[in-house]
Parts: sequence; structure tokens; C-alpha cells
Amino acid sequence: MKIMNYLLIPAFVLLLFSGTALAHKVNLFAYAEAGRVYTESYFPDGNPVESGKVLVYDSQDKLLLEGVTDKKGLFDFAVPKVDDLTIVIEATMGHKNSFKLKKADVEAGK
Amino acid sequence: MRTVISILSVMVLMVMLVVTASALAHFGTITPSDDIVTQDDSKTLNLQIKFIHPMELHYMEMVKPKQFGVVHDGKKTDLLNSLQAIKGKSPDQNEKFTFWTTDYKIRRPGDYTFYVEPTPYWEPAEDLFIVHYTKVCVNALGLEKGWDQPVGLETEIVPMTRPYGLWTGNLFTGQVLLKGKPVSFAEVEIEYLNESPGNISVVIAPADPYVTQVVKADANGVFSYAMPKAGWWGFAALNEADWKLKYDGKEKGVEIGAVYWVHTRDMK
Repeated sequence: MKIMNYLLIPAFVLLLFSGTALAHKVNLFAYAEAGRVYTESYFPDGNPVESGKVLVYDSQDKLLLEGVTDKKGLFDFAVPKVDDLTIVIEATMGHKNSFKLKKADVEAGK
Repeated sequence: MRTVISILSVMVLMVMLVVTASALAHFGTITPSDDIVTQDDSKTLNLQIKFIHPMELHYMEMVKPKQFGVVHDGKKTDLLNSLQAIKGKSPDQNEKFTFWTTDYKIRRPGDYTFYVEPTPYWEPAEDLFIVHYTKVCVNALGLEKGWDQPVGLETEIVPMTRPYGLWTGNLFTGQVLLKGKPVSFAEVEIEYLNESPGNISVVIAPADPYVTQVVKADANGVFSYAMPKAGWWGFAALNEADWKLKYDGKEKGVEIGAVYWVHTRDMK
């Protein structure tokens, strides 16, 4: 009986984490225009992710640059490289998501 | 004698079938190729606009709609000129009927509510014109904003349940509006789209009342229905317009329908 209780703990912890992660799921959307990449970070209800950390990686997973979102959840930067870019948003409490900006889209917005 | 009786009963049955066929509910439809666009999905949606009997799979001829567009982030975009005519039919129909299709590219996060106002359809069996103002909502890239906003059509259903990410068995709640005001005790007809992609078994109704489900809204025009199968579900609130149209020189009534489509998935 006691063993059962111990087994339930990890399941419960898992549920707890996935529950919070979903209810406060963060998202990042990015597009390139006139030589800059614009990112928008938001919660599902449209509230901005404030002071979130943005990390930009190339197709080789090399970190190109990082920054912080403003009050509107925005962060933009000059196109660092014409490549497939992975843009990661890290909010507080370990909420994290990423967006892949394709090379073709970077090229088009250069 | 027996043969006569069986011939007679077959004839009666056939007449009944013909009569029920014309009494079936008509529905305007907008079916998108995807209802939740994620990062990894194709950003190009294909939309099909039809006038059909959803449960029976029967198509009706549809001329080019009067209005077709999308609302995103509070802004309306006219898409009427992107529509292309295409023909289709159900397996048991002999001739093909016109419906409309288009591709639409999702460019930003948020909810996209597509709407259509068809050209009035003359229905001789009911001696009236039918206009179904039809809507469907597609969510994109994790931003769940916009689905609860009316488009501003003459009549429309405004969802009170978020209209995507619905499981089979979920309750869908909506409000019926006519000229922006709730319609007290509106009658809402509900049908399952038997040609839903991924539908593993075509539903055959054991009796007519199973084809079209009927619920009535409350005093605030709010109705609910729990959807028992995975696929597309259509909700149609029907009202009579306070305007008439001429057919053969005579003034005829116009049935205006507020139609909304939602998609459900099985939990597994």
C-alpha cells in the first residue's frame, strides 16, 4: 500500500508541472522585415510575456544573440545570419517555447 | 394480393423518402483543412464552401456568394475574389453541383473567423429563399484571441465555448444574434457532417429525428449541445428575415440562418 503512495507522487508531480505549463503556456512568433527580425511573445489569452529571455540559435545550434522582451512582449534585432533560426523564449517559472524561422523567410525579409 | 400489397408498401416508402428528403435541413458550410494551426503545420489553409444536407451528404447548387471574408485581430479582409468554383456530389447523387474553394495563408498568430454570406437560394419545396450566414474559426500559433467576437452579420452565432480544441462529448454553447441582438428561444438545428475527413463510419440515422437535432435557446438566445462523435458539427439558428425577395414577380419570404461549425476529436 505504501509503495502505491510512493508511485503516485511522481505522477502527481508530473501532472502539477504539465498543468501549470499549459495554463500559462508561452508562445513566440517571429517574422523578418526590412533587415530585422521581430519577435512577439505572448500567453494564449494575448497577454504579453514581459521581461522574457529571448535566445537566437542558428541551424548548427550556435547561440547567435540574446535579448529581453519589453512590456509588450516584443524584442527585435538585425538579421544575424541568413539561416534557419530557432528563437527561444524563456519566461519565469521555467516556461519555455521556441519558434523556427525558416531560412527562406529570413532571406525574404533581409 | 400479396404482391399488390408489397408493391403498394414500396411505393408508400418511396413517397415517404421523397418527402423526407425535401424536409431535411439545409446547411451552409465552411470547412477548413485545419482548425488549429501550429508551428509545424502547413500555414496554407484550404477552405471549402458548400450548401448541403450534412448528414445525408447531399450537395445543392451554390452560386457565387455575396460576401466571403475573414476577421483577424478585429480586422475584416474581403476574400470574395479568391473563390474558385468546383463541382462535387454525394455517392448517391447522379449529377455534380457547384461549390466554392480557396486557399488562405495564415501569416500571424490569433483566431481567424471565416464568414460567408451566400446569394439567396430559392427553395421551391418551402416556397422561400434561404440565406445561411456561415462562420468557422481557425486558431493559429497559440494565441487564443478573437473567437468570441461577433463579425457583424445580419444574423450570426457567437460562440460562448471556445470553438476549437473540442473533445467528442464536449458541450458547445453559443448565442444567437439577429441584427446584433439576442434571439429569445431561437430554434437551433444541429447536424453532423458525414463527409468529415477522418470519419471512420458514415452515420445512418435510424429515424428522421436523428438526422437533425433540435435545441431551443433560452431567453438570452443561448443554447448548448453535446457532440457525440468526432468530426465537424454544424449549428443553424433559423429566423425569418423582415425583408422579402421576388420570385416570378411575387414577393417571397427569406429564411436567414446563422450557422456555425466546430470540430471535435476523440480522446485517446
